[in-house]
Amino acid sequence: MSSRDKILAAVKNNQPGPRALPSLPGEDTAAHTGTVDLSSAFVSVLEAIGGSAYTVSGFDRIATILHELHPRAGRVITGCPELAALGEYGEKYADPHTLEDVGLAILSAHFGVAENGACWITEDRMIGRALPFIAQHLALVIRRQNIVPNMHVAYERIAELEAGAAGGNVAGGDSTGGFATFIAGPSKTADIEQSLVLGAHGPRSLIVFLIDEELSDAGFY
Amino acid sequence: MTTNGKDHAALADEFNKDEPRVNWHDETLWWVRQKRDKAAHNVPEWELLRDTASRIKDNVLSHLSEYLIQFEAMAVSNGITIHWAADAEEHNNIILSILRRHRIDKMVKSKSMLTEECHLNEFLEQQGVDVVDTDLGERVVQLAGEPPSHIVLPCIHKKKEEIGEIFHEHLGTPAGNADPQFLTHAARLHLREKFLTRRVALTGVNFAVAETGEFVVCTNEGNADMGAHLADVHIACMGIEKLIPQRKHLGVFLRLLARSATGQPITTYSSHFKKPRPGQEMHIVLVDNGRSVHLGRADFRNSLKCIRCAACFNTCPVYRRSGGHSYHTAVAGPIGSILAPNLDRKKYSDLPFASTLCGSCSNVCPVKIDIHEQLYKWRQVIVQEGHAPLAKKAAMKTMTWVLSNPSVYHTAGKTGRWFMLNVPFTVNNGFNPWYRQRDMPVSPAESFGEWYKKNKK
Repeated sequence: MSSRDKILAAVKNNQPGPRALPSLPGEDTAAHTGTVDLSSAFVSVLEAIGGSAYTVSGFDRIATILHELHPRAGRVITGCPELAALGEYGEKYADPHTLEDVGLAILSAHFGVAENGACWITEDRMIGRALPFIAQHLALVIRRQNIVPNMHVAYERIAELEAGAAGGNVAGGDSTGGFATFIAGPSKTADIEQSLVLGAHGPRSLIVFLIDEELSDAGFY
Repeated sequence: MTTNGKDHAALADEFNKDEPRVNWHDETLWWVRQKRDKAAHNVPEWELLRDTASRIKDNVLSHLSEYLIQFEAMAVSNGITIHWAADAEEHNNIILSILRRHRIDKMVKSKSMLTEECHLNEFLEQQGVDVVDTDLGERVVQLAGEPPSHIVLPCIHKKKEEIGEIFHEHLGTPAGNADPQFLTHAARLHLREKFLTRRVALTGVNFAVAETGEFVVCTNEGNADMGAHLADVHIACMGIEKLIPQRKHLGVFLRLLARSATGQPITTYSSHFKKPRPGQEMHIVLVDNGRSVHLGRADFRNSLKCIRCAACFNTCPVYRRSGGHSYHTAVAGPIGSILAPNLDRKKYSDLPFASTLCGSCSNVCPVKIDIHEQLYKWRQVIVQEGHAPLAKKAAMKTMTWVLSNPSVYHTAGKTGRWFMLNVPFTVNNGFNPWYRQRDMPVSPAESFGEWYKKNKK
């Protein structure tokens, strides 16, 4: 008998009688109803975990801010066509090792999560799976209205995104994708005496841009 | 681990020789516990989440064989190769065979307590394979030649000056530099070179989803992703109990995990691996190593719900004051003390006794494992099977006799108080192990019983 069959037989023999799955706490839980301003909740959590956030009117403003924050970013790769002038755009990188010297990656994420400051990004928006991790600095762009209250709603949103992709709304055959991640703040560690250090192996900084087209540029910069 | 066959009490004695260090260790972990409290209190439905998580895991354990089959089928259809390992030896040989097939003798590894449990590093080293642990804390203990002392904070027992020493010796940082920022940066440069040159990356698994065949790996450093996305071959190792039924259940566990572990609202990265990238090979090793047997023990199976957050470590008064190495097992702390006896009852017979049974571990557990009750139950099993040390058995018998005879009890109490008050050196001396790291309060002149007799009206 193979190990597989042995393990499965032992598990089946020893597992207790059936227990039903519970229902999940949903979006209707007290603190997460429409009365809370989700984007300001998102921003304050993100700042508390070492990230930064800018609410902007559009991509012009993003370009200006990035230019000021990272004047010497070196190699820049972006997944946003509106920011193509800032660096490499639309290229394919079959070997992830060629991303080794990227100074700044600017990618478009799907949505943010107010309770923990995380952004959900799927492989098709990463250019290369390694890019959001290997870049020295990372900027993510989301729509300000695309912020969900908590992780339960986040997974509902992910299911909708996949259903939409499977329906042919996204170009390319492989709709579900093979890799996706929540990114919450810059890479960090506190392994040495619990001292927080930003920039462990991945990006040393994370900026999230919240685009709100109804916003006026007046008053910014 | 070089414990020379010593038990928890003997190893804790060694740790306790340096009192300022014990206090520092205790306070550092208590601080993490306080961060956990703050994070938990920020979520109004926290208790509902714990209850939900526990019930999802009840469902998982009751349908584990079906979920394993479903997970395997989904993962295979996603292009992942599935391996099954009955024990540690088979697990280690599977990893070695994958490396050999690719003629590779170097790999990077992110945190995996399962590979610690299987002693993979030692095994691969003997086979001439160079393994680099890439989690900063794990790299520190690896360079120091020690096992991790904590499952989330592997080098929590080390002071920054000691880490500075280790880095000076192995990475060539300047002698005497113990600045965490500087040392972390040195490790970043050192490990980046490893990420870029290794073709095989091994990671652990936090959760595996039966419905989709994907697995989730959570890190703050990004080391699992750096390894996996740069490697030609990604091997993920998981215990069979890591399964959850559906993707939406991740919402519950990801809300609980980091808050319970470090007080963060979520880890920096929660990466969902579903398919290998084009040209990459992806393997999952499903490991039993005693879990299927454990599943059959009604009193103890709940410990298989553990999501390895280490909240029970940080809150435990015994762990905080005895250090992770005193547990002489890969997973230390209260949860390790109820998992280890399942694997080897004799070798780990001491661990269920390394507890005050205060119950704090059960109170903070995000999946509501009845940890302190299981510790108590293991004690009974261990004593009944004859694994308790002779001194403990004799002491227990004496205590039973004293406590079941009122006159003996009163006489013993009176005698004890007389000795403590008049000739304390006969009790508090080098021959009495109880006093080695303890101070006793001043003994009262009379017992409550005596006081009550005098004062009742």
